[in-house]
Amino acid sequence: MSNSPEQPIAEQPIVNRIAKLARIHLDQQQLESSGNKLEQILDFVSQLEQVEISEDVSPFFGAIESVNAIREDQLTPSVSREKILDNAPESDGEFYLVPPVFRNTDS
Amino acid sequence: MNHASNPQSTNRRVVRFDQSEIIIGLEVHVQLDTDSKLFCGCSTRFGGAANSQTCVVCTGMPGSLPVINQHALELSIRAGLSLNCQIAQSTKWDRKNYFYPDLPKGYQISQFDQPICGPGYLDIEAVENSSQPRRIRIERAHLEEDAGKSIHDESNRGQNSKIDLNRTGTPLLEIVTQPDLRSAAEAKSFLSELKLILNYIDVSDCNMQQGNLRCDANVNLHIPFGEEKIATPIVEIKNLNSFRAVERSITHEAQRQFEAWQENGFTIADAPKQTRGWNDHTQSTTLQREKEDSADYRYFPDPDLIAVKIEEVQIQQIKSQLGSLPSDLRKLLIERYNLKSADATVMVSQGRGVVNYFLEVADGCENSRIANNWIGQEVLRQLNESNQTIDQYPVSPQQFTELLKLVIAGTLDQTRGKEVLNEMVEHCISSQEAIKRLGIKPVDNRELVTLCEKLIAENQEVIEQIQSGNAKAIGMLIGQARKLNPNANPGLIKEMLSKMISS
Repeated sequence: MSNSPEQPIAEQPIVNRIAKLARIHLDQQQLESSGNKLEQILDFVSQLEQVEISEDVSPFFGAIESVNAIREDQLTPSVSREKILDNAPESDGEFYLVPPVFRNTDS
Repeated sequence: MNHASNPQSTNRRVVRFDQSEIIIGLEVHVQLDTDSKLFCGCSTRFGGAANSQTCVVCTGMPGSLPVINQHALELSIRAGLSLNCQIAQSTKWDRKNYFYPDLPKGYQISQFDQPICGPGYLDIEAVENSSQPRRIRIERAHLEEDAGKSIHDESNRGQNSKIDLNRTGTPLLEIVTQPDLRSAAEAKSFLSELKLILNYIDVSDCNMQQGNLRCDANVNLHIPFGEEKIATPIVEIKNLNSFRAVERSITHEAQRQFEAWQENGFTIADAPKQTRGWNDHTQSTTLQREKEDSADYRYFPDPDLIAVKIEEVQIQQIKSQLGSLPSDLRKLLIERYNLKSADATVMVSQGRGVVNYFLEVADGCENSRIANNWIGQEVLRQLNESNQTIDQYPVSPQQFTELLKLVIAGTLDQTRGKEVLNEMVEHCISSQEAIKRLGIKPVDNRELVTLCEKLIAENQEVIEQIQSGNAKAIGMLIGQARKLNPNANPGLIKEMLSKMISS
């Protein structure tokens, strides 16, 4: 994500877009404060740019250097339906119930 | 603005649809044939009671950790090798973020920049006599988890949608082609060959009714217009779960794009990629959404999973166990067993079991033509009628070989041979036992002479017809001969009758 230093992130429509993608509603005040916080985070992280890395270092994607944590293709018992559906805001005992995905207005 | 009176639009009306070229790329999702899910031990079995096959991992409970299924990795490598793909030495998983009720974590674990399988290709046969065999390049194939199933209220009265998460976390291999396909028929041919290969290497049963093979098609047109070639906006067609839907939706979409271009003149530069859904009932595509650009998924490496390193030794080992692929076997049947191309295609399309059966019988009776006729017609018909696979067929290749040897030697004619085969299938017995049950005995020459004399004496009218040039009338006599003595060989009867009538 590139961010020009002249334009503070809080004033960019990017915060709004990120909020939309994350499905969170932010009012004007929250938009500004989130923008400021994001900016601080980016500033903090940008310190990494000062580190000199030679070109033969390949990117590193995780905090652990080990590889190949894998399991055999074996069945383990599932959680009972009753218990797992207990976590749902709404269910009919068989399915999770969610607000209608398709509404009249869509068609 | 009235486009119809616009001079540009008038020019566009001059272009014919058949001058344009259809550009198609496919994204095929194949469910890998594992017992357990990609990141947890829940069953992948189809058809279980709703939400009976889930756990804290596949429902995305906080604190749960995914661990990758070794077998899913192997199957992906197997599929990649059979599609001539480069296999990654190191592969990792990323989170693809989007919101949908059947995706409990709010992201799908997928692969972004280090897919398990890199570039490869699949050769397809010519779809028409006039066209050429084609090499379709594979861009990549990556291993990801499936989402759950949503059941929407179709009454449109605003009822809740129901979610079943049994399928959530089932391993999928997403195979992405380059936009190399040039017709709906080629797309169908590619999918048929892909499905056959994945069947042969036991990666997936590709049962389309159960959604084990799903396909999205990216389609646009290149239209010659004046000096330039216009590209129409790309459309991704979703929800293609039958070969027929793939073929029809592409044909429909190409026509729709052509008409839209004639109407509005929009090119690829004027409109973002659209997603359209195929509706089997209306046989048309409808707009779903303008495609979000890739960055909207905010891919990032999944911190819960670490990279997988794949050693060359492991790749070589999997390669050595692949076995012959459909294209190798078609070649073998044509070149070594002298089958016609169409016959080889039919035989190979039946799966590895049928091909092995054929090879054993053809080698055993040393007559591949007869083996092909009998297996290609009788055996396949019987399997089809009884809805059985070749493993369940009651006649072993050895027994079948014995039967065909008797047919080749002339001991049994075609008709009797088929009666014997039916008896063998019905009672699960050998050809010798079937012959005994049917009372088939060799007929000696004296008996045949007596039979022919009787036929001639009793059918003077037919004899006259034959003598006056109607050679086909002899068939009536042969038919009668078989009624009088089913063991009489029709070839011998015909020969003897002809001699006696003409002398």
